[in-house]
Amino acid sequence: MIRILLLDDEPNILTALKRLLREEDWLIDTFTRAEEALDALQAHRYGVIVSDYQMPGMDGVTYLQFARQRQPDAIRLILSAHGDRQSMINAINRAEIYRFLSKPWEDYEIQAAIRSAVDLYRVKVENRELLAEIHRQKDLLRLREEELMRLETENPGITRVARDADGSIIIDESA
Amino acid sequence: MTDTPSQVSSELPSRELSERLEQANRQLLQSEKMAAIGQLAAGVAHEINNPVGYVYSNLQSLGTYLTDLFRLTDAVDTAQSLEDLRQIRKSIDYDFLRGDLEDLLAESREGIERVKTIIAAMKDFSHTEEEEFRMADLHRGIETTLNVVNNELKYKAEVVKDFGNVPEIECIISQLNQVIMNLLVNAAHAIESTGTITIRTRTAEGQVLIEVEDTGKGIEAANLNRIFDPFFTTKPVGKGTGLGLSLSFNIVEKHHGEITATSTPGKGTCFRIRLPVQQPDIGIR
Ligand SMILES: Nc1ncnc2c1ncn2[C@@H]1O[C@H](COP(=O)(O)OP(=O)(O)O)[C@@H](O)[C@H]1O
Ligand SMILES: [Mg+2]
Repeated sequence: MIRILLLDDEPNILTALKRLLREEDWLIDTFTRAEEALDALQAHRYGVIVSDYQMPGMDGVTYLQFARQRQPDAIRLILSAHGDRQSMINAINRAEIYRFLSKPWEDYEIQAAIRSAVDLYRVKVENRELLAEIHRQKDLLRLREEELMRLETENPGITRVARDADGSIIIDESA
Repeated sequence: MTDTPSQVSSELPSRELSERLEQANRQLLQSEKMAAIGQLAAGVAHEINNPVGYVYSNLQSLGTYLTDLFRLTDAVDTAQSLEDLRQIRKSIDYDFLRGDLEDLLAESREGIERVKTIIAAMKDFSHTEEEEFRMADLHRGIETTLNVVNNELKYKAEVVKDFGNVPEIECIISQLNQVIMNLLVNAAHAIESTGTITIRTRTAEGQVLIEVEDTGKGIEAANLNRIFDPFFTTKPVGKGTGLGLSLSFNIVEKHHGEITATSTPGKGTCFRIRLPVQQPDIGIR
């Protein structure tokens, strides 16, 4: 099941977000302190991480930078009460976020943003799995080729097996 | 040798001169206040966007909750049996809705209260027309000021309130609030990552003491006797005007009080204000 991490120093923001995500089929973990949300990255794999921008202690961009290192697949979003350009630029450049959302928000905006983040996460993971599969198969192929080469050098001609119409192996003594 | 300043002053009646000075001072005070409020506005917007954010979202959730609840109540007329009603009640997760509705309303009320407090504090704070000395509660003034500058402080410092037993004093509270605000904002600026700001009040020898102490970077000895000068600032353009402390000095002086600073570079700074409980000229008015 997809797991979502929500971080905001204001608990009432977290409950409001949980309400609007109630109908969704995701596991939702909420944190009011960045340090605890950092520890959580050790314990679970997250699909989407939504963080406040300005918090006491660690700010949201710094938190998401850590998150990016620890769980590069997780899609990062910022939910900020600052509408200013500079905080947006920081968030995009430093934490490579997927969306910058502002407070106050329309519920459907948040729902849509997180939904498409989940989709993106799925695609990302699937891509990576497919890529891994391709690499695995390539490796297998390479191993086989090497084995064939070895056999061929040890016993020239052995890899060129000729078969009869009924599938039985024809041994050509003349080779 | 001629003494130029006294020559100038001799050309104008001293009463008129002091009235002009008073006038200029008032204008300076006002413009510094507007600049400070401008700086604070961004912070206040942030402070308001948080509660408005969750209250607004909660109202949207309330809308969906009500749609569900109406499905149930409307079914009272159309349902074939009690079992049907029970079925609907189960499908809308009635027990959850019931419990959460109470939380939703309580949290939303809390949010609106916060917005109200901030707006009231801003209003208290920008009372420019108030020029009269009257008895006022310093602690209330400090709380108001904290509400206005909270956003500047809370990400930098823990604010410790060490309030003593202090009587109401005769003052222009909106101006003293501005002094406190200047000291608090300066303290926050002096703290590089995180620290503590302590606001202390005491009564001593019939006078009232207010201290604002920080664990910031401190003031170099060479600068310590210049900080109350107008336009003295060590801050970059846009962040400092160099007027905060000089205006604070004027305000405290007008209250027949005294403001002093002690500082240890690298350790922190403490500003101390001493104010009389009664203004000396009260008998005249
Ligand atoms: N709490 C403090 N800690 C360190 N330096 C301070 C503190 N308060 C004031 N100062 C110094 O005094 C200068 C003047 O302060 P002020 O008159 O409020 O103007 P401004 O804050 O606009 O620079 C500041 O630029 C700073 O160098
Ligand atoms: Mg200042």
